[in-house]
Amino acid sequence: MAYPYVSDHEVRVLSRYFGDPAQRRVDTYVERGGYSALKKAFELGPEKVIDEVKASGLRGRGGAGFPTGVKWSFMPKDSSKPHYLLCNADESEPGTFKDRELIRWDPHQLIEGCLIGAYAIGAKHVYIYCRGEFFEANSILARAVEDAYEKGYIGNDIMGSGIDLDLTVHQGAGAYICGEETGLMNSLEGRRGQPRVKPPFPAAVGAFGMPSTINNVETLAAVTHIVEHGGEWYRQFGTEKSPGTKLFCVSGHVNKPGNYELPLGFPLMQLIEDVCGGMREGNALKAVIPGGSSVPIINAEEAGRCTLDYEGCVDVGTMLGCASVIVMDETADIVKQVRRMVDFYAHESCGQCTPCREGSAWTAQILKRIEDGRGTEEDLDTLMEMTQQMVGTTICVLSDSVAAPVQSSIEKFRDEYLALIRRGERVGAA
Amino acid sequence: MSDIPFKNPGWAGNTGEFELSEEEVRGADFVGDRPADGGHASGAGTMPYMLAHKEPEAPLFDGAYKDRLEKILSRYPTKQAALLPALGLAQEIRGHVSPASMDEVADALELSSAYVRGVATFYTMYNKRPVGRHLVQVCTNISCNLAGADEVVDAFLKYTDTELGETSEDGNFTVIEAECLAACGFPTCVQINSRYFENVTPTEVPKICEHLKAEGE
Repeated sequence: MAYPYVSDHEVRVLSRYFGDPAQRRVDTYVERGGYSALKKAFELGPEKVIDEVKASGLRGRGGAGFPTGVKWSFMPKDSSKPHYLLCNADESEPGTFKDRELIRWDPHQLIEGCLIGAYAIGAKHVYIYCRGEFFEANSILARAVEDAYEKGYIGNDIMGSGIDLDLTVHQGAGAYICGEETGLMNSLEGRRGQPRVKPPFPAAVGAFGMPSTINNVETLAAVTHIVEHGGEWYRQFGTEKSPGTKLFCVSGHVNKPGNYELPLGFPLMQLIEDVCGGMREGNALKAVIPGGSSVPIINAEEAGRCTLDYEGCVDVGTMLGCASVIVMDETADIVKQVRRMVDFYAHESCGQCTPCREGSAWTAQILKRIEDGRGTEEDLDTLMEMTQQMVGTTICVLSDSVAAPVQSSIEKFRDEYLALIRRGERVGAA
Repeated sequence: MSDIPFKNPGWAGNTGEFELSEEEVRGADFVGDRPADGGHASGAGTMPYMLAHKEPEAPLFDGAYKDRLEKILSRYPTKQAALLPALGLAQEIRGHVSPASMDEVADALELSSAYVRGVATFYTMYNKRPVGRHLVQVCTNISCNLAGADEVVDAFLKYTDTELGETSEDGNFTVIEAECLAACGFPTCVQINSRYFENVTPTEVPKICEHLKAEGE
């Protein structure tokens, strides 16, 4: 296979054809068994499709880990309103780089999953909301969608089933918050991408005011395989509570960063040592962020105990998120990196809620002050107190995402903050 | 373009050797030319809207572009939903989204000017003022930062002899910092107009810039 940096530990279900340009072509996709899951879904009927996805135990891959089949079952069954399926391809969480790969290497796998999902929830139209920056991936996806229309896999009377489904690729314009499900809906409707107050939940009032379900790219890609092979088949991978395979996006100070598809429950240290070829230059591990920048940082000792499933990450005080493993070695400047992450959230805060809008900006300023050697020890107390007020007090969880790296880093790497503060004091005194 | 000595032209998969051409990685041959009318309606709203060629005075919704807007409108239950694609179209043609362009978009979609400005200013990808032929966006978020993205920014600024956000004297480059571009395994990632360049190090910056100038796009 052309896609290098593969590992024997991998179970390549979704990423099987990464690096194979032929997979983008609809004819190749069909030759390799593509669109048979869609046909099977039409034979099963919507309820059995949902049952199969429930049986698989698939949990949403966008970060929250909510069971997909359960989410689908929330959609009203007897409503005459149009329903919509939205695919969240607004991948922007720092550390995450899997959805772009899924889109550009295997677009039909995603399209098929979208069509199955739409059929299951009674939607006639799918919108794939793609991140604006992904011009290249979006063009590949748009071409693949056009091909699928031409071959009769999307459109009217799909494969002679009498079923009509439409799919539109919608391109974003650069706003992290549009990855939040209701922010995405507002953005799709041509509004500022500001999250909505819930309830009402999307299944009742979603895109264009209609019942809607929103799923991540990787979730819908997995649905294709679950319907094809069955829920039980999917459960052979992963753990009891976190079944299946997951794309792990590894970045930072490892020898072989990249996307690795592994069964959930894989030990974090084994991912770093065996799969990613160990730490860069043989340096010592200092810290890991296992789920993207919005989850708490863990230190080397906690990393040693961490298994990469939803429960295993919670056990060491963090979250799996979207499995974006950011690895930092002994040379990493924790304070600088936390400040950089908080700068990001301050930039991306939509500004609706005061704790987030003000809190993220002030947190960024205080962190910058500490980084520049002008901080005091009281600043750390201020940061802890202020970020505490940013948790659970806003419409969406962007605000909570500021608190996670700040609080966890002050708890676990207080010495680094203090060293900068002490050095600044010494310079000031001199 | 396959003779470019980049280790990794847009290839989010490996930092070492690989056996695919740049075209295969980027999917250029698969996508082919995308017509100005947007092609199939399902993807008419996905045209790249950061291009080197800019015509700030050109009309917005004329000819093939008018057809494209019609196709986009056909995919949504409301006219307002076409706002982001329409703003993208304006930028694709003119290079940035000026207040005058926003007003034209507002007229076309029967929205108020104030509303369109409110939306346009929310999103970072709409250039509110003119930029150089090549908009260089260097990711400096955590994963790229750990790999030395700050030095890559410095290298671009040094080569182009500009400040962040300013356009070089020859009109070729505007360099800005970007938030995470979702290519974290292949740092530093730089988006230049519609393309990603990955695994960029400071030493490669002059080569990339020279290449862009020669290529025209």
